[in-house]
Amino acid sequence: VDKQLDLLQGTLDMLILKAVSLGPLHGYGVLLRIQQISRDRLEIQQGSLYPALYRLEHQGWIASEWGESENNRKAKYYRLTAAGKKRLQTETDKWNRMAEMIAGILGTKREEV
Amino acid sequence: MTGWSQIRSWIRATLRRSDMETEMDAELRFHIEDYADDLVQNGVAREDAMRRARLEFGGVERAKEECREARRVNLVDNLTQDLRYAARMMHTNPGFTAVAVLTLALGIGSCTVVFSVFYNLLFNAFSARDASRLVVPALQDADNVGKADGNLEPLTLHLADLDVVREQNQVFEGVVGYITAGGIVLANDGAQQYQFYAARVTSDAFEFYAVPALLGRGVVTDDGKPGASPVFVMNSKTWKDTFKSDPGIVGKSFTVDGEPRTLVGIMPSKFQAFGPQEQIWIPVTRTSGTPRVAGEFPAEILARLKSGVSLNAASADLDLILRRLAALHPDDFPKHFTARVESATDALVGPSGGGPIFQSDIKHLLYDLLAAVMLLLLIACSNVANLLLAHASVREKEIAVRCALGATRRRLIEQLLVESSVLAVTACLLGYAFAWIGTKIIAAMLPQIMGASLGSRIGAETSLGLNLPVLLFGAGVAALTVLICGLAPALHVLRPDLQPHLTGPGNAGDGSFRHGKFRAGVVIAEIALSIVLLTGAGLMMRSFFVLTHVDLGFNPENVLLVVFLPPPSHGRTPAVQRFASPQGQLVLREVVERLEALPGVSEVAIEDTIPGYGPTRGPEITVPGAAHSEEAGLLACDENFLRTLELRLTRGRWLSPEDVQTSQYVAVINKRLASDFFGDANPVGGQLKVKSFKGPTGPPQDTSFQIVGVVEDVKSVGPQQPAMPIAFLPYTVRGGFALLLKTTVKPDSLTHAVQEQVWAVDRDEIIGLSSPLKDFLQKNTYATPEFSLMISAPLAGISLALVVVGIFSVMAYSVSLQTHEIGIRMALGAQRKSILEMILAKGARLIVAGIVIGLFVSYALMRFLASQIWGVSLTDPWTFGGVVALIMLAGLGACLLPARRAASVDPMVALRYE
Repeated sequence: VDKQLDLLQGTLDMLILKAVSLGPLHGYGVLLRIQQISRDRLEIQQGSLYPALYRLEHQGWIASEWGESENNRKAKYYRLTAAGKKRLQTETDKWNRMAEMIAGILGTKREEV
Repeated sequence: MTGWSQIRSWIRATLRRSDMETEMDAELRFHIEDYADDLVQNGVAREDAMRRARLEFGGVERAKEECREARRVNLVDNLTQDLRYAARMMHTNPGFTAVAVLTLALGIGSCTVVFSVFYNLLFNAFSARDASRLVVPALQDADNVGKADGNLEPLTLHLADLDVVREQNQVFEGVVGYITAGGIVLANDGAQQYQFYAARVTSDAFEFYAVPALLGRGVVTDDGKPGASPVFVMNSKTWKDTFKSDPGIVGKSFTVDGEPRTLVGIMPSKFQAFGPQEQIWIPVTRTSGTPRVAGEFPAEILARLKSGVSLNAASADLDLILRRLAALHPDDFPKHFTARVESATDALVGPSGGGPIFQSDIKHLLYDLLAAVMLLLLIACSNVANLLLAHASVREKEIAVRCALGATRRRLIEQLLVESSVLAVTACLLGYAFAWIGTKIIAAMLPQIMGASLGSRIGAETSLGLNLPVLLFGAGVAALTVLICGLAPALHVLRPDLQPHLTGPGNAGDGSFRHGKFRAGVVIAEIALSIVLLTGAGLMMRSFFVLTHVDLGFNPENVLLVVFLPPPSHGRTPAVQRFASPQGQLVLREVVERLEALPGVSEVAIEDTIPGYGPTRGPEITVPGAAHSEEAGLLACDENFLRTLELRLTRGRWLSPEDVQTSQYVAVINKRLASDFFGDANPVGGQLKVKSFKGPTGPPQDTSFQIVGVVEDVKSVGPQQPAMPIAFLPYTVRGGFALLLKTTVKPDSLTHAVQEQVWAVDRDEIIGLSSPLKDFLQKNTYATPEFSLMISAPLAGISLALVVVGIFSVMAYSVSLQTHEIGIRMALGAQRKSILEMILAKGARLIVAGIVIGLFVSYALMRFLASQIWGVSLTDPWTFGGVVALIMLAGLGACLLPARRAASVDPMVALRYE
């Protein structure tokens, strides 16, 4: 099965922000949540997750804090900041507009031209 | 705000680097272990799970590196790497490092010194509160328009008129007055008598200036109220020198100018407001609105603009008030005038700072010096850029290899810039050390060469040290040098073709390599710049030489000038009148006799002016039968004047003792006056008619004098102005109040003895001035040009040294590149002599090109020096010729060593040379 859809450049950031917006998560949790909400249709290269997390934290869109995981291990939890929330909103709007437009273009029939 | 959070996250990551690493480690480990746990739960064997988890995660190290990149911590890594590399570079090339650092340090140091003088004199000259808004009102006499701003005189007003200005103006936050005229007073503390320069200040002056006292207090407004106990304040120098810093003196009572006064405070050393050399300040007792007091001297004025008011607006406002005042007191003002408000700095060092006789446009000079030192910096920078360029091309192969191995150009340029920054920072620190020494020397020499007024003022309130703005300027200059010096080699690296450097020999190409031309261009520019500096300094030097060798018409060597001032005990009768009275005559004769008896004094003459600076103007004179009349200076003197000053008699005789004793109406005239009225004919025996002649007493009247002799012209409007027509008259006719002592010892060593002798005759006598005549010339005429010479000559010297180093390094480098070629030539039979000639000719081409360009530039630029140059043409062929010869010699000298090295190349070694 070809589960591994190639992620568009920049969409990983958006997915991470979305995942974290549903509640604080550690890195592995972000991965699982994205897989879960995509119903396993999307798999993320594990190695590329962390640079993205660091980048987003560097931008100030997410913030991190050490806490306990479900199985009592120390883990670094990420949560959305106010700036991140705003960012997610604009990114989502942009994506929707874009998707709509592309879908419109791709759905064009011959007689409509 | 994301920008801020980025910086914060960067700083945190950078400062707590190891924390970040361990956290990153822990985070990734957690991920892999948790994943492995999940795999185990899904039925994978534990050992297998761990392996699969790692495998699926991908490269841990790569992920980490990308994380670091995301946090930009690499920036610091690269920087430390570059710094370490630069340090190693400097260490392995000590010669290169020493020359580069020293060159830059000289450049930065010179800039810092000149900027220190520039900034502190022009922007930091006063220690007053809000000093930038301090202004001095001045008058421009419209009927006397000479050179630009030359006729701007500081405004003086009677205190009653000052009240009017205070009340009516809209533009000043405060206006205070101080009276320095006739301001030498005698003070007595019961044990000893002192003579002080004193200024009377309006009682709000010290609160206006707002510099706190060192001991006790300054003058306060209440001190000026009628009935307040009389007080005075002393400057710190007098306190230190005369009273040996005795703190107990504050509160002591003195008899000052005949009145008992209490000393209430000592001002700090950084206070010399209200008079350039005043030692004590006395508050004026008066209430606002008091009418004008007869015989009172007018006050000089210092004001502070309200913030936001421009000089023009203030001038306009003041002009209106002064016009109303001029309508009331027409005698106090010029017929046609414009009021101008000048910044206090301009009044101190600006074009009008020195008045008409004393040339001291220091402001203009400082701008010139700043420009000169910038040229010097440019020379230093191009020198170092050239060195770095040579260095970079030696390293071409290294750089090419690094490029080939994947170093980005950006990284390489970064590295080169870091290298030049390290050089610049080292040079900057060394430059500060140079500057520290330089400013110390200048600060020590300034009072010696500057005028009494300017020198003590500058010495007192202006510190020429390295304060923060000056240090920042030095750092800015250093940053600039990094850009200029580092850029050339960095751009050099940008060239795209690596191939020749990888495959070629260690040092690519020959002497005429592409950037070889660029380097030659840099040297040519350096030579041209140094020509500009050298001609500028050369012209100043020539001008100073001409100025100090002007024929004054008299010999100022070993002459002490003693001037008497009207003391209060004699009712402040002007000294001229007093010494014309029979009783005054007796005093004067006795003083002269006592001084003649002093050991070390060979001649004493009575006269009425400062030789060299007076008389500057006088009444109209003419001779019988002449169609015209002209203004001539009258100089009153006695029979000893000729011998004391060594005037040169050309015709007839000098004033005889009988002429003087019996007040004969005879005159000796100077050559200018003789030729103006008599042409070549002998004027001796002729008559000189003086219109409105004013003797010591009585009303002016027309008189005539018999001409008995002619002397050579004597300078009287300063050494720079042509001699004016002068008639020498017996002082018994005209009045005299000054003495000239010809001495056989150093004249200033006698000032104390002279004062004692004078006080032995008359305890109330005030000696207004007791100074060697030579000092007078020095302070008033030679000081400013000497100051400019003192700064510009070292700059020119440094520039010459730098150019020699520049030519040497370029020639040495090009010879080293050509070693192979020279070897071939010699193997093919070239003589050593021809090799030597070849190299020298190459050097000479650079030098000549530089000289030609430099001469054109100098020719164009020297007119900016016009105000500093006197007595020499701005295109003086001797100066230009001398500079060309100097550069030519120094330049060829710099070529000689590399040329000899080239000529001594062993062909066999050279052929194998890589």
